[in-house]
Amino acid sequence: MQESVPLNYYLILSAIFFVMGAVGVLTRRNAIIIFMSIEMMLNAVNLTFVSFSSYNSDPAGQMFVFFVMAVAAAEAAIGLAIVLALYRNQQTVYVDKVNLMKW
Amino acid sequence: MLGLDQFIAELNKSISMFLPETALVIAFLVALLLDLMFKKSKNLTGYTALIGFLVTGYFLFKQMNMQSTAFSNMFVIDQFGIFMKWVILLSSIGVVLISFFTNELYEKAKGVGEYFTLIIGMAFGMFLLVGSSNLIIIYLAIETMSLSSYVLAGYTKEVKRASEASLKYVIFGAVSSGIMIYGISILFGLTGSLNLFEINRFLAANPVNNFALFLSVIMILSGFGYKISAVPFHFWTPDVYEGAPVPITAYLSVASKAAGFAILLRFFKVTFLDSVPGNDSVWTLLGSIDWHFVIAILAVLSMTLGNLVALWQTNVKRILAYSSIAHAGYMLMAVSTMDDAGVASVLIYFFMYMVMNLGAFYVVALIANNIGSEEIDDYNGLGYRAPILGICMTLFLISLTGLPPTAGFIGKLYVFSAVVKAGYIWLAVVGVINSVISLFYYVKIFRNMYLNDVDSNKSKLTYSPASIVLLFVFAIPTLYLGIFFNDIVKWASYSANIFMGK
Amino acid sequence: MLSDFGVILLFFIIGFIFVGVGLVAAAFIRPSHPNPIKNSTYECGEIPIGGPWIRFNIRFYVIALVFLLFDVEVVFLLPWALVFKQLGWFAFIEMIVFVVILVMGLAYVWGKGDIDWEKPKPYIPSIDDLVVGKKK
Repeated sequence: MQESVPLNYYLILSAIFFVMGAVGVLTRRNAIIIFMSIEMMLNAVNLTFVSFSSYNSDPAGQMFVFFVMAVAAAEAAIGLAIVLALYRNQQTVYVDKVNLMKW
Repeated sequence: MLGLDQFIAELNKSISMFLPETALVIAFLVALLLDLMFKKSKNLTGYTALIGFLVTGYFLFKQMNMQSTAFSNMFVIDQFGIFMKWVILLSSIGVVLISFFTNELYEKAKGVGEYFTLIIGMAFGMFLLVGSSNLIIIYLAIETMSLSSYVLAGYTKEVKRASEASLKYVIFGAVSSGIMIYGISILFGLTGSLNLFEINRFLAANPVNNFALFLSVIMILSGFGYKISAVPFHFWTPDVYEGAPVPITAYLSVASKAAGFAILLRFFKVTFLDSVPGNDSVWTLLGSIDWHFVIAILAVLSMTLGNLVALWQTNVKRILAYSSIAHAGYMLMAVSTMDDAGVASVLIYFFMYMVMNLGAFYVVALIANNIGSEEIDDYNGLGYRAPILGICMTLFLISLTGLPPTAGFIGKLYVFSAVVKAGYIWLAVVGVINSVISLFYYVKIFRNMYLNDVDSNKSKLTYSPASIVLLFVFAIPTLYLGIFFNDIVKWASYSANIFMGK
Repeated sequence: MLSDFGVILLFFIIGFIFVGVGLVAAAFIRPSHPNPIKNSTYECGEIPIGGPWIRFNIRFYVIALVFLLFDVEVVFLLPWALVFKQLGWFAFIEMIVFVVILVMGLAYVWGKGDIDWEKPKPYIPSIDDLVVGKKK
């Protein structure tokens, strides 16, 4: 019997990635970097899916990863296009400078 | 494993049940092409959208009593879904019509071709979401509607607030959907399936780690909560509602919320309820987690925060945004009962909410056409400058507060009675107190319109006869459904039937 | 028998050896005669102007976005190709529908002129520029 990497290790790794992404979203102020952090969260999810999928030997998880990848691309495209529109309007990509509306 | 012939037969059967959604996809593509070919025409895609919605309505009508699954259990057609689809479809039609009369769209954006196309896309996403019973489809549907709505929220590119709203929306949306799929991945790991029916069967047969299950469902709830703007996930709501064009605000507050509630109800019922045949009216929960309580807490938070913060607002769209958070709270209250009476009351509430909320936003749009502002101080004396708008707005506000004889009263009546019947007296009391608080800020709009600046000699507002006809389309049902509500109630109780798999 | 951890360790070791051997061998073999011309960025004689950290033109980025969107869709062709033989014509038609929808998206982008490379209009000086004190 081959000793394989336990599932827990993958899960802990992906949880760490996810938290890093979440912290990035919460602390960074540059919209582009926030989108990069979101991408990181999504990839953490992909890692979880792939590891569960291979652990349960159920390909559904890997299919989900395909869809997450496609949607992440679309989301990044739209997000960056919106950042562009914002930059044309307000000349900034820093979310703390974008505060016409509060409460 | 199915053989190839069976597989193809199953697909053919599925496609025949997927006709309303197919009609929407085709309408989307046709609108895209028409927009490309006739660049000069103004409302062509708008009319295409209307025709598409009517065709969808025809197919939906033919499905009225169907109950089935399609695409190997990925998609469900049941009475509950069909009711919600009607709400979504009717509000989509309403929003397209409102858009025709919203000057902001035509003045502050480069053409409206894509606008209507994206509305069809969003409607498609919501249709998919309402009927989905597989976590992949749920995710894809939420993203389909979200991606369209991000663009729509910032459609008026020249308005600074619109692009800001759009940015906030996309960041919150992406994060909450990221959290949601993390929850989905944990649920997938725990139960080994993405299909809600199979997850239910697995949970009924095997014990799972309660903490992990709780965590994953809370994460999934963040995705749904974001769509219905329930409180811990509501931060985007006021900003997006204020910045987005008025028809889109109305759309987000009605249709998008309806889709969110539909999937919330379906997810909780299908996943966590013991499917005991014969005992449908009261749902028995699987496992030891008290989901009633979790959702009741969300409901209380949403109602209270929505209503209290609305008191300080000075922008009418923002007031309506907080009021929509509070309304999500009222409806969550009914969800937390988790019985068929609760589901029926949510459906009734949504039908009423659709009419009155679209109406209220339409009045805001018409006023903004004239005075170019949504600030409450600019509403001073409008009751005299625009008598019809004033009366209708008053009607919608009364209805939103939930006073008789309006549609809103019936909605609230059924929600509260469902909550009391299920034995959550304290929850109902909180709800009633909140309704009283909400009266203050609705009255504030009314006061500005009728009691402030009474004898101003500012010019009267102008509006076309067609726009007034559309206003009555919203105002008359608001009054009518407040008195003759039996049919809706009957239909909703009949529709409170969520398909639980074989 | 190697465990999974062992495989990963082996992977790391081989990776380091592969890169390390290459670098070390190159350091021994290559001639080293540094002079200012050889050290410049473009040895062919092009003199760099300004810093390398400039902003890219926004138009690159629009094309990159469109590319990204269509590029990722290829991922759906992969599982399709695996089962294509079993499903035959049916799968073929299905994929045609999928690709046609994508092509419509591309046609839309194209038709709207979003991937046209718009050249900035050159500024043609007029006689007014030479008149001192006249406001443009």
